[in-house]
Amino acid sequence: MIDALLGGTRRLGLWLTWLGGTLIVLSAFLVTLEVFLRKVFNVSIGGADEISGYAFGVATALAFSYALFERAHIRVDALIGVLPQWLRPFLNLFGHVLLIGFAFVVVWMVWGMVADTLEFGSRSITPMRVPLAIPQIPWLLGWIFFVFTGMLIAIAAIVKYFQRDEAGVQDLIGVKSLDEQIQDETV
Amino acid sequence: MLTKTLLILLALIALAVPIAASLGWLGLILQFTDSPMPLHRAISDMAWQTSTDFLLVAIPMFVMMGEILLRAGITERMYDGIVKWLGWLPGGLMHSNIGSSALFAATSGSSVATAATIGTVAVPQIEKRGYNEPLFLGTVAAGGTLGILIPPSINLILYGLLTNTSVPELYLAGFLPGFLLAALFMATVVIACMIKPEWGGAQLRHTWAERLRALPALIPPLGIFLVVVGSIYAGLATPTEAAALGVVASMVLAALNRKLTIDMMRQAIEGTMRTTAMIMLIIIAAVFLNFVLSIIGLTQALTDFVTGLGWTPMQTMLMIVAVLILIGCFMETLSMLLTMAPLITPIVVALGFDPVWFGILLMVLLETALITPPIGINLYVVQSIRKAGAIMDVIKGALPFVITMFVMLALLLIFPQMALWLPSLVY
Repeated sequence: MIDALLGGTRRLGLWLTWLGGTLIVLSAFLVTLEVFLRKVFNVSIGGADEISGYAFGVATALAFSYALFERAHIRVDALIGVLPQWLRPFLNLFGHVLLIGFAFVVVWMVWGMVADTLEFGSRSITPMRVPLAIPQIPWLLGWIFFVFTGMLIAIAAIVKYFQRDEAGVQDLIGVKSLDEQIQDETV
Repeated sequence: MLTKTLLILLALIALAVPIAASLGWLGLILQFTDSPMPLHRAISDMAWQTSTDFLLVAIPMFVMMGEILLRAGITERMYDGIVKWLGWLPGGLMHSNIGSSALFAATSGSSVATAATIGTVAVPQIEKRGYNEPLFLGTVAAGGTLGILIPPSINLILYGLLTNTSVPELYLAGFLPGFLLAALFMATVVIACMIKPEWGGAQLRHTWAERLRALPALIPPLGIFLVVVGSIYAGLATPTEAAALGVVASMVLAALNRKLTIDMMRQAIEGTMRTTAMIMLIIIAAVFLNFVLSIIGLTQALTDFVTGLGWTPMQTMLMIVAVLILIGCFMETLSMLLTMAPLITPIVVALGFDPVWFGILLMVLLETALITPPIGINLYVVQSIRKAGAIMDVIKGALPFVITMFVMLALLLIFPQMALWLPSLVY
């Protein structure tokens, strides 16, 4: 059951990542267009910087879940490498829980901010006067999905630990090996 | 307060807690112990402002540009092209390793990607042409570090953000030292091969006709570099706008090479967003930690403590450099930059040094950290590409380049104009 849930969450996270990445690509074209029009025709469509800023924030938040599955977060494993093997799952879980805990504090605070935005109908203090709820709600949802993913991974890792599935625990919360890292960054 | 902060930070990092969580929790703990105000309430605003900061939009865009170029099929031909131009020097291909690393790193920004990509192309040549293996591996490991300094560097953007320094100014300042360091690496190879000619492998000879034929392979990466960096230097675009131009230009280039496919873009996006999500979480935590540190007066206390030692500014600077070299032996570069820059830059400025100049000095220190044992990721990347032999070969081979970096640091300390001259022409 938990594997099916993990698989579904991972796929959703991947789809959201593609969506966010597409927003970044579109922003790149928008900003390029803006620069081109400004320099060549001396006209400004305006707002490209603001819109790409929102796209960036939303795209990043949507990718948090995927990055967590990919174990992309930097950890210094110099000490953990020399500690006895049986200790590692505990330290891995400890680091994971602290990461999700920090994200939870952010979500908790952001929740209040977005509630205020909705209550007061806040708009950006720019010529575009964008209703801030539009970018802030998907941004908050990305953070919530991140915390959800983190809690799911923590539970799955504990289950796998008691099933004596060491490789499974490592895949979920272990430090990424150098070979995996190189594979990620090259073609 | 100072000791407590350092102990908590060291404990969290040593326990392999993710860097983002280490910085975030340090901030939260300090606010509960040392601040009468609920500072954590500011997290939401800080997270939102940082997440949508137009300056930082440059991060996913530069990463994406590198991811697309990596898949655009230009690396191998670029390497061969540079061989034709630099192969005649004593040390042959080792100069191509450095030259193509400099060019690749300038457009990619990831030292792991640079060392791994150039390493994969270069390492098989060691036996074929009879090079001294350690020195050859050293050139790949050292070459991979160059991207941190040569613009467009993401690390310089982060430094600019955390220390309120102008990024275009930093980019101008990094230009000469970045290429000078590449030149010094090459000089190191030449000197080594003059002392021991047998290290330099078989002599390579190419005609001018061959060189000219190789030029088209060099135009794409140089062109991208010129579009991106040139548009910033010419004042046509901000760093983020230049990054957007870079994404579009690299997509055009990939399309010309018939490599622009949905599948390729999907992979480029995955790589980009994985890196961006990782970096942004650390930045949000670092911005919050900085805020806490300055509110509780720790930044000021540290500055007062160091300036109160009564050392001359140069003595203090030498001490800072020594400490950072030591930290660099054990810490990964991104975490080192994000923790050290906001703490140390105020001290440096209080002593009367230029923050732009210090940014460049710090980048060279980060580059050194990439190839100093025991934790120097480029050493391990090169070792892993090679798949055989002892890691000591790589460490030994990188040592001459560590010394070269020390020379570079000394030059920057003695002649700060090296970094500050170009910005002074514009600003």
